[in-house]
Formats: sequence, structure tokens, C-alpha cells
Amino acid sequence: MDTSSFLIQQLINAIFLGSIFSLIALGYTMVYGIIQLINFAHGEMFTAGAFAGLIVLAGLQKVGFVDSHFIISMVLVFGLGMAYVAVLGVSIEQVAYKPLRNASRLAAILSALGMSIFLSNGMMLSQGVSDRGFPNALGWEGLKIMDAKISYGQVFIIILAFALMYGLWIFVTSTKLGKAMRATAQNKPMARMLGINVDKTIRVTFMIGPGLGAAAGIMVGMYYGSVRFDMGFIYMIKAFAAAILGGIGSIPGAMLGGMIIGFVEVGWSAFLPSEWKDVTTFVVMILVLYLKPSGLLGQSATEEKV
Amino acid sequence: MKKIGIFVLCIAVIACFSGIATAKTLKIGTMSPLTGPYAQDGTYILQGVKTAVKAFEASGGLPGYDKIEILAEDSACDGGKATMAANKLINSDVSAIIGCYCSSATLPSSIPVDEAGIVMLTPASTNEKITERGFKKFFRLPPRDDVQGWSAVKFMENSLKAKTVALIDDRQTYTVGLVDNIKRFAKETGKLEFVAHEHITPGDKDFTAILTSLKRLNPDVIYMSIYQPEGSLMARQVKQLEITSTLVTEDACFQPKFTEVGGAATEGIYLTFAAPVADNPVRSDFVKAYSKDWGVGENEIGSFSFFAYDAAMLVLEGVKKAGVEKLAETIRASKSLGATGEITFDEKGDRALAHAVWIVKDGAFVPYYNPLTDTMY
Amino acid sequence: MAELLLKNVTMKFGGLLAVDSLDLEVPSGKILSLIGPNGAGKTTVFNLITGVYKPTEGTITYNGETLNGLHSNKVVSRGIARTFQNIRLFNSMTVLENVQVGLHCRTKSGAIRALLNTPFLVQEEKEIAEKAMAVLEFLGLEEFRNDYASNLAYGNQRRLEIARAMATEPGTLLLDEPAAGMNPKETADLMELILKIRDTGLDIFLVEHDMRLVMGISDMITVLDYGQKIAEGTPKEIQNNETVIEAYLGSGGKK
Repeated sequence: MDTSSFLIQQLINAIFLGSIFSLIALGYTMVYGIIQLINFAHGEMFTAGAFAGLIVLAGLQKVGFVDSHFIISMVLVFGLGMAYVAVLGVSIEQVAYKPLRNASRLAAILSALGMSIFLSNGMMLSQGVSDRGFPNALGWEGLKIMDAKISYGQVFIIILAFALMYGLWIFVTSTKLGKAMRATAQNKPMARMLGINVDKTIRVTFMIGPGLGAAAGIMVGMYYGSVRFDMGFIYMIKAFAAAILGGIGSIPGAMLGGMIIGFVEVGWSAFLPSEWKDVTTFVVMILVLYLKPSGLLGQSATEEKV
Repeated sequence: MKKIGIFVLCIAVIACFSGIATAKTLKIGTMSPLTGPYAQDGTYILQGVKTAVKAFEASGGLPGYDKIEILAEDSACDGGKATMAANKLINSDVSAIIGCYCSSATLPSSIPVDEAGIVMLTPASTNEKITERGFKKFFRLPPRDDVQGWSAVKFMENSLKAKTVALIDDRQTYTVGLVDNIKRFAKETGKLEFVAHEHITPGDKDFTAILTSLKRLNPDVIYMSIYQPEGSLMARQVKQLEITSTLVTEDACFQPKFTEVGGAATEGIYLTFAAPVADNPVRSDFVKAYSKDWGVGENEIGSFSFFAYDAAMLVLEGVKKAGVEKLAETIRASKSLGATGEITFDEKGDRALAHAVWIVKDGAFVPYYNPLTDTMY
Repeated sequence: MAELLLKNVTMKFGGLLAVDSLDLEVPSGKILSLIGPNGAGKTTVFNLITGVYKPTEGTITYNGETLNGLHSNKVVSRGIARTFQNIRLFNSMTVLENVQVGLHCRTKSGAIRALLNTPFLVQEEKEIAEKAMAVLEFLGLEEFRNDYASNLAYGNQRRLEIARAMATEPGTLLLDEPAAGMNPKETADLMELILKIRDTGLDIFLVEHDMRLVMGISDMITVLDYGQKIAEGTPKEIQNNETVIEAYLGSGGKK
């Protein structure tokens, strides 16, 4: 493998990893933006999505539908998985966060932690403690760019991740609900004063954020080939770092932060001793926060209250 | 007056409990990871012990005892958690402890157990240091990692005729210890050159960056000193990246989940594990009982269930023969046939077991190479 | 005929009586100003109307329908919009987007439609954009439409607040100290603007400290002190009212 193939391969690895971190980080940043809460249960949303996707895909594969109708199968797997987690996200908001909206922020954070433990244990009991293999729907074939290889599965996942992020961007910048969401994030009382149903907007945020997390979960399960009840933890930590790095509350910030974390991880393992890989992610995060405390694309933290 | 009432009530409750406790119970503690990434192997161990107790009770039970109780603790592959679990079991007056899975959990947690004078048997931890500390009441069922490391080196040198090797570990006691052994034995002959030594983090899913680096180095062998969850994923990514190096790994990947999750990508991977055991009545009885107890196929039994079963049987037979007081001496002097073959222990508490190299063929582990005789199976 | 009507409205915060049995009507198509010393309860009256607080006693009706206990977002859809004393723009949105947010309470598409991005929605978004531009033109802000709200000059930020409120297509506009912090030139422009808005047929209810503005444009004035109405009338009547002068000139000792 020559150097240019090596670099292309590492670039593919980094984009792939980065797009998944970005998708998860979006869920954090959106929820934080709208109710200033770190949704610690987001990692579990990711895992729940992976399990939901696994169940749908395994079902479809059993009846031989995946081989005959691949596209429809993928729409079903991602659609149903994301829809399930969207409902889960809204339920969590209603049960665990909404009653605490006017309580101290600490109470809400504890509630989020509690929800995370609850969901994690729920999945452990219902889905088992060990790895569950994900049906290999994407196959092993792929494209060759010199000596570098990108599988069709990776191409599919990268395109889907970018499509979802682009869709989200269109949604928040040019639809009514998207603008309502940004308005609510910036100033709840004022948004209310302009006729925006703030509760509804928060609910929608809790559908989209976890929904994107679920999509990332399905992608991870599908590509890496296994799902376990606690797989959300490491992704949660890294995506959280990505959201902070990009400026929590900022949607483009989360996308950028995820990519940066992906590139730092791959770049470090590729050129420097892999022992320190996990440290670097956080060193980069700390450095950025030291130089720009609000994150790369974050707004300085001034919040208006009634 | 009210306070005295409550006091009397308390006394009454305590009396009730102690009344129950006078019925004689043999308590066996188990420590294995019941949560976290290695929960599957941890569960295999617990289930092996449970099957042993059930089978033992069915064949007459323990004279002088009303029942046999298993106290299962979660050691989570973590020294701190395992030590806490050990102390809890010691305080519960267990007669023997079977555990742990990870060497990093067994090393520290066996210290308080030894101080309390309780017999401990590990069904899975293979790091050689564990039995080098002179503990008088500690026994190990599976073969040691210096044997494993030596076997892997012999295989790579003589059978694969490899020249260059890349090592990967996940920085845990077991995986690092094994890699150290491999380096040590390779140095003796000087036939292998180690071109890279990479490290991963347990729980990671993506290893493409380091695997791409290894693809560029193109070593003859990539030696994966990692546990099954990461092992399955790495095997898949090696196939995905079309890396042509031969994969060799070890006993922590030697369980049904490795091939189940890794799928086609695990075909042709070599693993070191205890040499195959000739079928014997104990083994076939265990296989039947286990698959009936846990509703799994006879080929889906975790490899460490066999060792756990033998460990539990050693305890039960030992207590039956000479009581709890002399358990360690009884086990040390015993010579028995178990599900994992002939069982005897040396003065360190180790068995004289050899390793073999196995290969994944059609999703099953098949014996491939015998490093002792340098012959193929 | 009055559209916005307050009857016997009382607001207590614990033991503090902020508004005391207030009767008030905002005459149709006119400018009503509410004045009074600091802490007289003027902003509280606005908060009561717009559903930030729920009155302890009394009723607030609009076009014959009661507003008591309605959430702010419902009050807007009934046709009452307001601006704030301290500017509350959505700073990281553009000028145009700020106005569009205001317009959204008049549009139909719900959450499901928005997520599915139906053709109907696309059409609606186009209409919204056109309407928003019309509002910006009315207020003379069209050239800043793509600027971030936070980058506007102070006077224009005030105007944008009014534009955003106007975008909700209200029947009644509540302006809370719109001239605060403005220089005389900006205040003069603002007076012109308010009159222009009134002439489109809106009722305007104004809280203001700047007497030049109040006396210059109000059709009617209500004076509040310690939560109680102490006078009402035309600007001329108020200027000559003994009680008002006393309250303003701070004869606190006499009270």
C-alpha cells in the first residue's frame, strides 16, 4: 500500500467515523439549545435505535425481503428505527424533563442521568448482556481507489448521514417549525409572545434529536456488525465532546465538532502511538475551550430571562 | 415503652433469621462479569457453576448439608469491583469462591480471599502471575498464558513460517501479559520480527485507522491480543479493508459469540486454546445437562463453562470427601476426571495443560496444530 | 367601541398589590398611552394582557372573548402583539427570519407537514417570505433583511421588534417603552411610525416615559400610580390634572 492510498484510506476512515459522531452530537446540541439540558440519555437513544433497526432488519431478512428490495428495506429499517426512538424521546421529555422545566438545572441533569441508567438497564434486561450480531445487509464489496477501499455499505452510510444533516439544515433554516425551534432556543418567553407553541416545539426537538441519534445507532450496528446494550456509552462521550467542541447549542457546530473528533481520532492512530488516542480527543477539546470557551461556532453564553 | 416494643420486635426478627440460618447450607461464591462488555463470558461461568450444583444435588447431594447456595457477584472485569465483591463474599461466609474471568480482576481480588483462608478457583484467568504468588488455597483450571504465548510463537514460526508480526492489545492485564510472553519466547529464537505494536481501548468499535496503518506495513501475521467483543469487530474490519495478513488470536475469543458476531470474517482465523480433550463420560454428561438447563445447542456452550463446571465439582466433591476445613488440601491431592480432562494440580495450583492452535472452519472451532509435537491435527 | 377591555383587574404578588381594581379600555383605531412613575405597575398590566401573569381578580376581554388564563401564544393568535422594554430579538437569526417567526402563528402547516416538507408547505413558505418583505418595507428595514439582528443599529433593532410584532397581524399592538434609549431624531421618526401604524387601523396601547412622545401622539392617556388609576383623559386634560402633577412631582411626603 503506497502512501497516497494510505492517506486516502485514512481519509475515508475519518469521514466515516466523523459523520457518525456528527449525527449523534446533533442530538445533544439540539436538546441543549432548546432547554439547556445535557441529555445524558442520548447515548441510550442511539443504542435503542440500533436495536430497533436490528429487529426490523432481522425480520425483513428472515422473509428474504432485503435481497429482493434493498432500498425499501433500508427505508423501513431506518424509518421505523428512527420513528420508534422519536416516540421514545418525546416520552422521556414528558416523563423526566418537562415536570422539571422550572426546577433547578441540577435536578434536570440528575433526572437525565437517572433516565440513562433506567434505559440502559431496560435494554440489558430485554436484549441481553452480550453482543448481538447484526445481519450483514451491506455485504463486503466496495470501490477501489488505488489501493484504498471503500465498501458500498460505507458509501451508503456516509451519503445517508450527510443527507440527514442537510435535511436538518434545510429544516431549521427554512421551515416554520425549524425557525420556531431556533426562536424558542434563543428566547422562550419572546417566542411564546409571537404565538409559538413552545411545548410543541420542544417535543419536536425531542423527536428529531433522538431520531438522528437512532439513525447513527443503526449505521453503527449495520457497519460494525454488532449491537450491545452499553454500546452507546463511548459514542455518547465522544459525541458530547464533539458538541462541546463545536459550541453546544450550535447545529453547524455539532456537525463540525463531530468531523473534527473523527479526524483527530483517525489521524492520531494513523501517525502517532495509538496508546494515546482517547486522550487526544479530550486534549483537543480542552485546548479549544481554553482558546474559545464557547466552542468553535458557539455563541457566548448570555441568556435572557423574563 | 414504645422503644422497648420495637427492641423486642427486632430481637424477634433476628431470632427468626438465625432460626433459618441454623439449617446447614454450603455457600459457594462466584465472581464473574455479569455486566459490561464481558458479561457473556461471565454468564457462561455462572451457568457452568449452576449446572454443576444441580447435577451434584441430583446425584445425591452433600451429606450433612440441607442445601447448596450459590452467591453470584459481579466482578465486571475490574480490580476494584472484584475486590469489593470478594470482601462481600468473605463476609457472607462462603466456603469457596469460583472466579474471576479477567486476570485484572482475579489478581487483586484473590488477595483478601487468600488472607481469609478461603479456597479460590479461577475458571478463566490465565495470566501466569496469578499463581506465582505462593497462595496455598488458589487453583487455576485453564492453562497459563506463558504456555499460550509459547504455543502461539511456535505456531507462527513453524507452521505459518511467519517473518513479520504486528501485535495489538487492549492494555489490560491479560492481553498485555500475553503479548509480553509472545515477545519473550520469540526473542529466544529470533525468528519473528515485530513490526508494530498497537493498542486499542476496550469498548471501541472502530479500528480502521490502526488497521490501515498495519495494511501498509503488510505483516505476515496480525496477532490480536484482545477480548471477543473487539475481536469480532476487528475481524470484520480486516476483511472489509481487504488486509491479507493472517489473523491469530487467543482464548478470550474462543467462544461461540466470536464467530456469531464476526460472521464470515472469522473464517480461517487461528486461535490458541486448551488442547482438545478426548470425549469422556463427565464431559458428555455436562454437555447434555448444560444444554438442557440453559436451552442452548450442544455446540453453543461457552468454553469457560467447562472450566467453571469442573471448578464447582472440585469444591463439591472436596467438601463431600473431607469437609470445608480441609478443602484446599483435598483439592490439591485429588486426581479426577472432569469435563476438561484429567485434573491434577502442581504446588502452585496450576494444571499441566497444553495449548493447541484451533482454526475457525464453517463457523466452528476445529483443532489445527499441536505446538508440542509440531504436527497438524 | 373598545376591543381590549380590562374590568376590575387586580394582581397581587404575595402581599404586594401591583395592580388594584383597574378598569381600562383601548379604543378602536386610537392610541392609548399608559403613564405613571416607576413601579406604578405599567409593565405588569402588559404582562397580564399577554398572559405572562394570570390576574388575581377581574376579567380581560378582547372582542368580547375573555383572555384570562390563556397562554401567551394563544393571546397572540387572538390578535394582540407586544414589544418589550428591553429588546428581545433572536440575535442569531437574520432580520427577515425574525419577522418570519412572527408570521408563523398565522400559518396552517403543523408539525407533521413541516417534517414531511409537503408542496403545500413550500408554497406557504413562499407566501411567508413575501409577507415578511412587505412588513420590512413598511418599516423601512428591507435593506437589512439578510443582516443578523444583533448587527443592527439600536434604533433599527427597536423597529425590528415592532416589525416582528406587526408580522403576527395583530388588531392591537402593545408597545412597552419603544423610545427607551433613543436619541431625539430617532424618537421623532418613531412617533411618525406609530402614527403610520395607527392609520392602518390598528389599536395601539403604549407604555412610555418620554412625555414628548406621549403628549405628541396619544389620543387618550391613562395615569397609573401604585397600581391604581388616578386619571384619564386627552393629553391636554392630563397635563392640567392636579393629581397627576402631584404624583409626578414626587410629593410623596403628603401621601
